Amino acid sequence: MTQTDIAIIGGGVNGSSTGLELAKNGLNVTIIDKNFICRGASGVNAGTLTMHMTRAQLIPYAKKGWELWMNTSEWLSKEIEVEKKNGLCLAFTEDEEKLLIERSKVRKKYGADIKVISRKEAQRVDSNINPNIRCAAFCEMDGYVSANQTGYAYSKALKENKVNILENYSVSEIEYNNNNKYVIVFENGEKLIASNLILATGVNLGKTLKFLQIDINIKCLPQQLIVSERMPKIMDTVITVANGKLSLKQFNNGTVLIGGGWPGIGNIEDNYTETKPENLIGNMMLACHAIPKLKNSRVARVWLGLEAETDDAMPIIGEIPNFKNAYVIGSIHSGYTSGPYMGKLLAEKILGKDVDLSLFDIKRFL
Amino acid sequence: MILINNKTKYDVIVIGAGPSGVSSAINCAKRGLKVLIVDSNHEAGGQIYRAPPKTYKSIPKNKLEENEIQKKMSIELKNYQIETAYNHTVWQVSPGFKVNAFNDFSTIQWETKSLIIATGTYEKIIPFEGWTIPGVIGLAACTVMLKSHHFIPSKKIILAGNGPLLILVAYYISKFGGKVDAIVDTCSKLDWIRSTLSLITNQKNFNDGIKWIFKIFLNRIPVHSNCKIEKAVEVDGGIKVKILNLKTGEYKNIFSETIAIGHGLTPSTDITRLLRAEHIYDEHKGGWIAKVDRFLRSSVNGVYLAGDGAGISGALAASDKGLLASTALLYDKKIISKKEFDTNTRKIKKKLDKYEVFAKAISKLNSIPKKLIENIHEDTIICRCEDITKKEILSAVDQGAKDINQIKSWTRLGMGPCQGRTCQYTASKIIAEYLNCEIENLGYLTGRSPIRPVPIDRVLGDFDYEKITKVEAAPL
Repeated sequence: MTQTDIAIIGGGVNGSSTGLELAKNGLNVTIIDKNFICRGASGVNAGTLTMHMTRAQLIPYAKKGWELWMNTSEWLSKEIEVEKKNGLCLAFTEDEEKLLIERSKVRKKYGADIKVISRKEAQRVDSNINPNIRCAAFCEMDGYVSANQTGYAYSKALKENKVNILENYSVSEIEYNNNNKYVIVFENGEKLIASNLILATGVNLGKTLKFLQIDINIKCLPQQLIVSERMPKIMDTVITVANGKLSLKQFNNGTVLIGGGWPGIGNIEDNYTETKPENLIGNMMLACHAIPKLKNSRVARVWLGLEAETDDAMPIIGEIPNFKNAYVIGSIHSGYTSGPYMGKLLAEKILGKDVDLSLFDIKRFL
Repeated sequence: MILINNKTKYDVIVIGAGPSGVSSAINCAKRGLKVLIVDSNHEAGGQIYRAPPKTYKSIPKNKLEENEIQKKMSIELKNYQIETAYNHTVWQVSPGFKVNAFNDFSTIQWETKSLIIATGTYEKIIPFEGWTIPGVIGLAACTVMLKSHHFIPSKKIILAGNGPLLILVAYYISKFGGKVDAIVDTCSKLDWIRSTLSLITNQKNFNDGIKWIFKIFLNRIPVHSNCKIEKAVEVDGGIKVKILNLKTGEYKNIFSETIAIGHGLTPSTDITRLLRAEHIYDEHKGGWIAKVDRFLRSSVNGVYLAGDGAGISGALAASDKGLLASTALLYDKKIISKKEFDTNTRKIKKKLDKYEVFAKAISKLNSIPKKLIENIHEDTIICRCEDITKKEILSAVDQGAKDINQIKSWTRLGMGPCQGRTCQYTASKIIAEYLNCEIENLGYLTGRSPIRPVPIDRVLGDFDYEKITKVEAAPL
C-alpha cells in the first residue's frame, strides 16, 4: 500500500493548482484523476479570462487569478497560449444599457476596473463590433487561455515538481481510519494512504463528498461551445453582452470561439453530452450580432463541458467539518479564471498560513 | 431563424443515397414503412454512381455505364414514392433519433424511429513532404472528376498510392485524352499477380481490371512498383516529384502537372461516433469501424449500417448489404416473420460471402507498408486543417499523452473542419509505431457535431436581435 502526504482527488485546474503549490513547498503530493489531468471542464471550457461575467463577490479572486494566468511562464509553463486582450461588454437596447451601467457599477465596487464607454469609443477599441450598440463596458483586464492546452501545461509542471500522478484511477471508497488517515480504495483494487485529503472533482464533487457521508447538492450545467474554422482576423477583443450569455474571441490560429454558457444536454452518470441545435443557433445569432463578420464563417466543431454549481452559485473551498485534514475545492463561478489563485489559497491554508476562506465555507450547506 | 422542425415522424431515415442506401430504402418502403432518404448530392448515386453536376445540360459524349445506373437509382426511388431530401448535408444526429441537416437555405430537423447509415467511405492518403501544395489531389476525388464530371484534372498527371483505383484512374485519364506520366505503386507486381485468383471471383470487376491494365500497357505508362512519393515541390509549369523505391532505396525525379494519390478507403464513422456506438479497429476493413452483428445491426438499438460503413466490400456488394441491414430492421420491427428473415438473409449472405473474397484481395493491395509510415519526415504536416506536424504529435506523446483524444487536445490535431477524417489514420499509425502499441489502445477521436462544417449565414439567415430566444444571464 503506497503512502502520500497529500492525496488530491480530481486533477482539474483547482486540484492541480493546489497540488502544484503544495509540492513547491516540499510536500509529497499525489493527484488522482479518473481520466487525465485537466481533461474535464478545465480542458474544454472557453478559456475566457473576463471580469464582465464574473460574480461581483468573486472579482477580487478573479483579478488575482487573471494575474497568475498572465504570468504562466513563472509558475506553470511557457507552452500555453495566453493572451491579454481588452474586454468589451456590449449593450444593444435601452434596457440593456441600464443593466450594463448598473452591473458595471457593482463590479467596480468589488474592484474591477470597468468603465462604461460610448459607441464611438468602443469602436475605437475594436472597429469590428456591431455599430448599432448603445454603449459598452470596457475593461483592460481581460483575455483568454487556450483551454485545450491546460492539460499539457499542468502535466508538465506537476511532473517537474515531482507530483505523483495517477491517471485513469477511479475511486470506489474512502475510509477514514483510527490514525486519522485516509485510505483511498480504487476500482482496480489498489489502495493509497494519505495524511491529507483534498476533494477537487468538479462536477462530480457531490458524488465524491458522499464517500465522507456528506450530502450537498452540486448541480451539473452542461454548456455548449462552438468553434469556427480558421478565419482572417475579424476581431481583437474579448466580447461579452450586457444581457444574455456570450463570450467571444479569436485565437491566434484564426478560429473564433463562441461560448457563454448556453445549455446543452448532459449528465455525470455516464458522462454523456449532446448538443441542442436551437441553443447553438441562439448562441451563434448573439455572436454574429456582436461581430457581424462572423457570419461569413463556418462552424467547425461543437462540444460540451460540465460546469459545477452549488445552490447559491458560490464556491465551496476549505476544511471539511468533522474530518481532520480533509479539504474541498470546487464550484467556483468563472472557476477557470480564479482556479489557479483559489488553489494557491487553499494550499496556503493547508500550509498553516492565515487565509480567510469563510465566504466559501461548506458549512453553509450542512 | 430558419430552424425548420419537420413535424413528420419517419419510420426510417436512410442517410446516404448510394447503392446500399437506395436498396435499403426500397426494401423498407416495399413493406409500407415511411422512409426518408437524405443525401448531400443533388441526386441518388453515391460516389461510384455519382450524378453529373446539376449545371450540366447534357451528358458529354463519353457516356459511361455508371451514369446509366445512377439514373435508374433515382427513378426507382421515385417509383416507390420514397421521400428524398437531396442537397441536404447531415450535420448532427442525436439519440431518439433526431437528424439535423442543412441545404442552401436553412437547417432542418427530422425525427425517426430507426436509422440506416449508408454514408460509405472516404479515402486515405498517407502524407509526404509537399502533399498539401496545390496540384495534389485524392485518387478517389480524381475518379469523381472523371466519371461524374467528365474531365481530367490536368493534361499530365502522376498517379500514386496503391490498389485498383490506380489502374482505373489511369484507364479513364487515357480514355479522356490525358497523359499519365507515371504510376507510383507501393505494391509489387508480384502482389498483383498473387491477388489474381481472389480477384477473379468477381467476374465483372475482374474483366474491367483486365481492360484497364491492357490500356496501361497500350499507352506505355511507366509503372514504378514498390515505390512511394517522397517529396513534391511546385516548380514553373508543374510539380517536381521525387520518388523512392522502398526496396532498393533509390530515388528518381519525375515532372508532371498533378498528383492524384490514394491509399485505399476508410469507412465513415462520423454518425456512429456521434451516437456513441461501439467501434472496433480492423485494418483489413479500413481502420476504425462501427461494431456490427452478422446482420449489420450496430450496438445502438435501431441503428443499422448499410454499405461500406462497417467494413469495405465494394460497390457491387453495397446494394446487398443494404438489403441485409434493412431486412434486419424489418424483422426487429416485427414486419417480417422469423422464417422470412432467415430465408432472405441466408440468400443475401451467400451472395455477400462471394464478394468478401474479392474485398479481402483488394484490401491486401491497399495495405499500408510499414515503411510508408516510418518514412514520413518529422516536419511533414499530418493534420492539414491545423498544420500539425509529425514532430508535434510525437513531442506530445513524449510529454505523456496516452490516447488520441489527449493528443487532439494538446496539439489541436483533428480539431479543424475535417474533424480528423484525413489525419486520424496516419496519426494513430505514427503513435502506435512510436510507442510500439496497438492502435486499439489509442482509441478513436470522440465524435463531435457538426460532422460537416455548417455555414453560419445559411443556418441563421436574416434575423432580428429582438427575436433571439435568449437564455438568462448568469447571476451578478
